[in-house]
Amino acid sequence: MAVLSLPVRHIRALRGTAKATAVGSGLQRAQSFMIVATLLYRASHLTVGVLAVAQHRPRLPLQYAGLAVALAVSALVHGTAWRRGWFERRSVWADLLVTGCVLPLVLCAWGGAREPATIGWAMLLGGSASAVASIALDRLHALAVIGLLVVTHFAGYQAVGASPAVIVGHLNSLVASAAMTWVFKWYLCRQGRLLDEANARALAAEAHKARYAERLEHHRALHDTVLATLTTLAAGGVDANAPEVRERCAREAAYLRRLIQRTADEVHHREIGAALEEAVGSVEGLQLRVTAQYHELPQVPPEAAAAMGDAVREALNNVRRHAGTGHAYLTATGDPDGHGGVVVTVVDRGPGFDPDRYEPGLGLRLSVHDRMAEVGGRASVDTAPGEGVRVELRWPG
Amino acid sequence: MARVITVAVVDDDRMLLDGLQAWLGKVPELRLVATAATVTELLGAPPDGRLPYGSGGSGSGSVSRSGVGIGNGLNGLNGPVYVPADVVLLDLVLRDGSAPADNIRRLLRTGSRVLMISTVPDRSRIIEAIRAGADGYLTKDHDLPTLVAAVKDLAAGRSAHSVELAFACAHDNSPARPQLSPRERQILLDYASGLTLKSAARRAGITVHTAKDYLDRVKAKYQQAGRPTYTKLDLARRVREDSLDGG
Repeated sequence: MAVLSLPVRHIRALRGTAKATAVGSGLQRAQSFMIVATLLYRASHLTVGVLAVAQHRPRLPLQYAGLAVALAVSALVHGTAWRRGWFERRSVWADLLVTGCVLPLVLCAWGGAREPATIGWAMLLGGSASAVASIALDRLHALAVIGLLVVTHFAGYQAVGASPAVIVGHLNSLVASAAMTWVFKWYLCRQGRLLDEANARALAAEAHKARYAERLEHHRALHDTVLATLTTLAAGGVDANAPEVRERCAREAAYLRRLIQRTADEVHHREIGAALEEAVGSVEGLQLRVTAQYHELPQVPPEAAAAMGDAVREALNNVRRHAGTGHAYLTATGDPDGHGGVVVTVVDRGPGFDPDRYEPGLGLRLSVHDRMAEVGGRASVDTAPGEGVRVELRWPG
Repeated sequence: MARVITVAVVDDDRMLLDGLQAWLGKVPELRLVATAATVTELLGAPPDGRLPYGSGGSGSGSVSRSGVGIGNGLNGLNGPVYVPADVVLLDLVLRDGSAPADNIRRLLRTGSRVLMISTVPDRSRIIEAIRAGADGYLTKDHDLPTLVAAVKDLAAGRSAHSVELAFACAHDNSPARPQLSPRERQILLDYASGLTLKSAARRAGITVHTAKDYLDRVKAKYQQAGRPTYTKLDLARRVREDSLDGG
């Protein structure tokens, strides 16, 4: 059996829109903000360091080396935090020990710093290190680390003979940096979480509203069809066995059957379900019985759902015009090996045709192939004389 | 013409029973011998070997009316004794709350073959029914020829296939589903999409006979998976199937 797969343009643009642009949650945004804020804090300290080293032009290379190490460790801490979304504990510890403790002591011991002013820039880095520690480490670890910083810096300043006012001021800023950063983070993350919860509630309410609207829609449809028919039959006066009454009953039973299948699973797939239903509804009044089976329809972009609906309508119209059986089979399922894709088939058991001698009619070409191609989908027609016709639609193609 | 196939129907919808009775009345090869609202009502008492098929039935019309009303199938006239029909049409969900699997097993024990029917294709229940040993499944919206063909297939020891059963198996994602080969899956999916077995076979490049084999095998796998308790009976039935197939 030949497979008629006409060349179609594949427009992939829609695939991108299916994966919504990842806007972080409120919590993620709070964390990103804290990463940026502590980075700026550290950057201000490093700037002081660069200026101090440049100004004093120390003879010993240790000052330059110390500055380079501080820059490298800072890049490590904030670089990984930026990449991963939050601070990595190991690099934070490295920063604390290297720039917070070792660097000032080394400068005191061998860096030729014999007065407070020359190691001031290195001491300053302790402030931004304690800020990061307070938010990146467990509470106990953070307290221990800040204690360690205080002791080290006290010892360092003592060694260079700083005045008590300088020492107290510096230790105060070490602790205050940590405390303030912790408070900021606590507040922002709390707000972020609250925002996330509010968003989740809003989304749930939206979904609920959509389901309610859908139910109303169904009720309206039931009122106009099944209820009206049953009421008429109950009142008597019409012959329930008349062909047109039976046909109407069969049509409405088929509608109910599809409705139950569509609403059976909790997954919300309003777009594709509604589009298919519309397509089936449009041909059902025209002496075509449609046996529809749905399974795990995924959520697809509205454009794709609309295209599928149009293509199915045309395929069903083809069955109606050419199959001569008055019966079409429609299946729609989630792509078994796919990632949110959908496969729809429209099948008839009519005479089929010879695909080698067949010029695709305007309907199949325009409304099925081109319509699917427009949204990045694919259509294939499979038939042989005496074999019926099978139209398969896939999205994405 | 082959011998008349006896059919019993278990459904709690009176209107459907009446409708089926009128329908089957038009088919000379089938005889509706009992109708009931529940399996218990149909079976009444343990089967009695003395009674021949169809005894007490004075024609399908009176039978099913008395059956539904009195509640003892066709044997209302002769006392509560049920003679197993060749094929029982069993509604998937009965209002008495009985489990479909239990209903099926009870009917199979009497030696009948079971064709499930339901209004809406409830896929997990269909799978459950096939695992319990039901031989086929149809929704109630099929036309008479389809129903008759399915009953005849079952009575002849063949299995009856339907689009909705194939769809249920093809899209079964329960953890207990049997492993299907790619070929079995392809035929199953194509048949489930509405293709005739002939077209599905042509698409796969195999004969219709082989395609039907694949569908049979899929069903057998399901039945195998859910068959622990009545092996003996099943064996007997298999022997019967084999001899019928051979002939």
